Order: sequence, then structure tokens, then C-alpha cells
Amino acid sequence: MKRNTPLITLLTGAVLGVVLLISSMLATPSNKSVSYSAAATAEPVSPAPSSAAPSPAEASSSAPAVTGSSPAYSGTSSPAPAESSAAPAGSPAAPAESSAAGSAPAAAPSPSATRTTPTRADYAGRVGGGGGSVAVSVHGNKAIAYVCNGSTVEGWMRGKVENGKLVLTGKNNARLSASYHAGKVSGDVKAHGTDYSFSVSTVSKSSGLYEATARVEGKTIKAGWIVLGDGTQVGSLETDADSDQPVAVTAPTLDVATMTARIGNVVLHAIPVSGVTGTGF
Amino acid sequence: MTTRQDALPPTRANSTAAKLIVPCLIGALVALALGIYGRVHSPTGIAINIAGFSSPGTVKSWLATGATVFAIVQVVSALVMYGKVPRVSAPSWIGGLHRWSGRIAFLLAVPVAIHCLYALGFQQYSTRVLIHSVLGCLFFGAFTVKMLILPKRDLPGWVLPVVGAVVFTVLVVIWLTSAYWFFSTFGIKR
Repeated sequence: MKRNTPLITLLTGAVLGVVLLISSMLATPSNKSVSYSAAATAEPVSPAPSSAAPSPAEASSSAPAVTGSSPAYSGTSSPAPAESSAAPAGSPAAPAESSAAGSAPAAAPSPSATRTTPTRADYAGRVGGGGGSVAVSVHGNKAIAYVCNGSTVEGWMRGKVENGKLVLTGKNNARLSASYHAGKVSGDVKAHGTDYSFSVSTVSKSSGLYEATARVEGKTIKAGWIVLGDGTQVGSLETDADSDQPVAVTAPTLDVATMTARIGNVVLHAIPVSGVTGTGF
Repeated sequence: MTTRQDALPPTRANSTAAKLIVPCLIGALVALALGIYGRVHSPTGIAINIAGFSSPGTVKSWLATGATVFAIVQVVSALVMYGKVPRVSAPSWIGGLHRWSGRIAFLLAVPVAIHCLYALGFQQYSTRVLIHSVLGCLFFGAFTVKMLILPKRDLPGWVLPVVGAVVFTVLVVIWLTSAYWFFSTFGIKR
């Protein structure tokens, strides 16, 4: 009996942990993966990069796997419907962008594109005219972008990288098309019916894109912040991120030192969305 | 025959290693499983509040501080048990104190770890966070090792103190990279 007490301690801790974990899961039905409906269809096709990512030691070895899988990806037809279904929806700007998307496979043989495009990079800066900021994070063959004016105009976009071109889509017909290379990403982005053109540079530590989600009164709220090199930030908060047409308000200020923001009683814990480290992907 | 005789002393030495290898492997698996879960599971960012505290950060910081205080009791009581404190002879209740302070410290640490793993995940965006993530996983592995080797007899005398010291050190660094950082950043509050 006495010899078993350490084991009982361990098992008690394990049971307590499992109970807490299950109650957390019951309290928070996870809809996070559903929130990117356009990207969700593409997720099951590429489990390799996400499952290889967990171990930092394997991170470097996963990079070839990611680039290796991208040609196979462009050959499969599954991502195409997702993008083409999004394309008609964004009809006003569609002609120019769909031609850009169409030219991406044609540009494939260009060796210079593969030579200068990094597989992991974070970009952020103000859009042309300065009415907001845009952030783009590239991680292997995936990319996440966020555009935000610090108020109601904002949009999260996801998509695939093909030959140095980004065509990312999101809810509310948000769409970003851009080309990027080692130091800069340039293109057009549209969110909530507002078009911006941009040309922004890579960001360094502590500046860039941050996100936070929390569940409040049965709804998932999702905040995004773009922090620029000079310390200025813009952020918006979707009050019902699971909705097909989320509405945004100004986000509370993100304390970059503590990575938290506060709305009343709720503390939002932000995580960086970084292509360099892979967090948020 | 000669080979068999030659083999005897190493077998005895190996038996110590053999007693340690399985607990160590299990501990390693525990640490690895926590780390993989923390990395693969997409963090919910959910912050469930406990009455009386202003935020989950404060709840976790106080629980972690409690665990660390009991861990200090662990070290002191262990020193007394091993007769390392001059002019203090081990009272009869010291063993019970050591066991119960350890259990309480462990059980205080579990909810903190669950919140970390479920809401925040294994992160590496800064040195502090990376150290905290790695050691957070290692702590439960090391604690598992300690619990599994505790009932084993005939272990060399250094084993338990060394493993106990590792568990304590890891916990203190975890506390420094979380609760201490939290309190020194936000101020000490409930």
C-alpha cells in the first residue's frame, strides 16, 4: 500500500488534468478551424506540413517537404474550386486578379522567382494612402494576411503560395493578390468593399501580425493587430468571428510586452502570426 | 564460465540503470506528449475566469506561486530528512510534511499546465516563452520519473536527491518565466 502512494499521486494528477481538459473543451466548443471556410477545404490535402511543424528540431527538415508538396498541390484540382468559388463573389475586382491567378502557373518555369522568394517571411506596413495597415505572413506554401483600418474595415485571408504569387481569400469577399520577394510584398487587397494597394517590407521582432480569439457569451471573438516597426498599431475585433460576414469594431490596445489586451473582464492572449516561426499557422 | 563471472558485476551496476531506464522513458514520453499536444492543438486563447481573481493570468500566477512555495518546503524538508541541516534532527512528521507538500504542489501545478496547454499552447516567440514551454513539458516528465522511482528500493543514494533537485530547479525556472514575470510586469494583484 505504502509503495503505491507515489503512483496514486501521479494518477490523481493525471485524472485532475484530464477532467480539467475535458471541462475546458466542453466549455469552449472549438470552431477555430471552421472560421476559415475557404481555406478549410484545402486543409486535409496537406497534413504533412502541419504535422511536421510541432518539433522545432524537425522544422528545418519540414521545409523541403513543404516546397516539395507545392507542385503536387498545383496539380490537384481541389484548391481550384475553393478559389474559383471565391472569385465570382469578388466580381468588381475579379478580372485583373483572376488573370493574375491564371498567370501564376504560367510563370512557374521562371527560375528567378524561386531563387528570390523566401519560404518563411513576415511583412507588414501601411497601405497606400495610409488608411490602414496590411500584414502578410508566408510559411512554406501557406500564407496568412490581415488588412485592417483599426475600425470596421478588416479581413483575414488565407491561401497558398504559388511561384512567388499570393492569392488569398477570406470572409466578406476579402481578397489579396500580391507578389513577394526577399524584402517586399506588393499588390492589392480588398476588404469590406474597400480597395487598397500596398507595397510593404519585412518586419523585425515584435512588429508584425498578432491575433487573439476568445469565446464570450457564446460567440467567438477574434482580434487582429498589425504592429509596425515604429511601434504604432492598428487592430480590429470581430465580434462574431464564426459568422459568414463578421462585423468588426476597434480592438482594445494590444500590450505588446505582455501580449495581452483587455475587454472588460476578458483578457485576450495574443499570439503572433509569424511565417518565420510558424506560430499562428 | 569466465564470461558469465565477468558479467556479474556489470549486471549489478546495470540493475540500477535498468531500474531507472523505464521511469525515465515514461517521463520522457510524458514530456514529449505534452509538448506535441501543446504544439499541434491550436490554442483556443480562451480565458475562463475563476471567481475572486481578475484574470486567468492572475489565477495561474498565484497557483504557480503556491506550487513554488510548497516546492521550497520540499527542499527544506528533504534537507532535514537527509540530516543536512546542522543542529536540526528530523522530527517524526517530516516525512509526512514532505509527502503532502509535494502532493499539494503537484496538484496546484496541474490546472496551470492544463490552461497553458489548452489556451496558449507550446509557443516559441520569445526566449522567455520558449524556455517556459520547454520546461513546462519537462517538469511533468521529471515529476513522473520522481514518482516512479520513489517506491524502488536499492537505488544509489544520489538518485532521489538528484531527481528531486531537477524537479525543483525546473519548477523554479518555470515560475520565474511565468508568475514572476507576470507579477513584475502587471504588479502583484489578485
